Amino acid sequence: MKKMIKYNWYFEQSPETVWRYLTTSELMAQWLMNNDFELVPGREFMFKSNPQPSLDFDGNVYCKILDIDPLKKLVYSWKIMQGEEKLMMDSTVTWFLIPKKGGTELILEHTGFDNWKNELIFQAMNKGWDQNVRVKMGNLFNTKPQNETTGN
Amino acid sequence: MKQQVIDPFQAVGDPNRRQMLRLLSRESLTINALAENFDMTRPAVSKHIKILYSAGFISIEDIGRERHCMLKQSGFKQLQQWIDYFDQFWAVKLKKLEDLLSEKAKKL
Repeated sequence: MKKMIKYNWYFEQSPETVWRYLTTSELMAQWLMNNDFELVPGREFMFKSNPQPSLDFDGNVYCKILDIDPLKKLVYSWKIMQGEEKLMMDSTVTWFLIPKKGGTELILEHTGFDNWKNELIFQAMNKGWDQNVRVKMGNLFNTKPQNETTGN
Repeated sequence: MKQQVIDPFQAVGDPNRRQMLRLLSRESLTINALAENFDMTRPAVSKHIKILYSAGFISIEDIGRERHCMLKQSGFKQLQQWIDYFDQFWAVKLKKLEDLLSEKAKKL
């Protein structure tokens, strides 16, 4: 499992242009999602995308601008709710813009999964399941044969 | 046991429950053995176990006279699904931005 989502993307356009597409509501809507973004420190805004029923995700992302460093860095929170008040995901999106070869290197970091996804989950993924299966197998051998062949 | 659905984020938001999962990631434990690791009352331990169970992180099986707790995959899977979803989401969006910008450049 990944610790964070990270992308490095090279654009031939200048940081000024890329910045505009990251920070202008109408331009963001063209490639990201519909939104009511405004480049103001502390501004709360929302993205609206298509619902994802498989995740029980209504498609709304609640954000707040946490940091602005013009042409260099933009940080906002990225929250997803389930129902009226249940916070499903509380994460952070950070954009870095770095001038490179006449264009722009854009780095996206989507982080903040750590409060639940720390090393324990990595451990669990690696060790726990084996053990789970072993215990179950042990159970099967020690009890009467069952028709069930798969775990849940 | 009445099934109350608890989201996995809430379930692992508590340090005691994370510690429980950490212990269970090493070996499956009886509820008694698990409780020995914590300075809290049995009802409090049971409550945490119930939450982890409801969120799909652990399963509880009766083996002999003991109740055994072990890790279960579904709670972790749901977290993984969200991350995978956004991972894919950003890849698609960044490509879209790239296309949009190069399209615009051609027009100039």
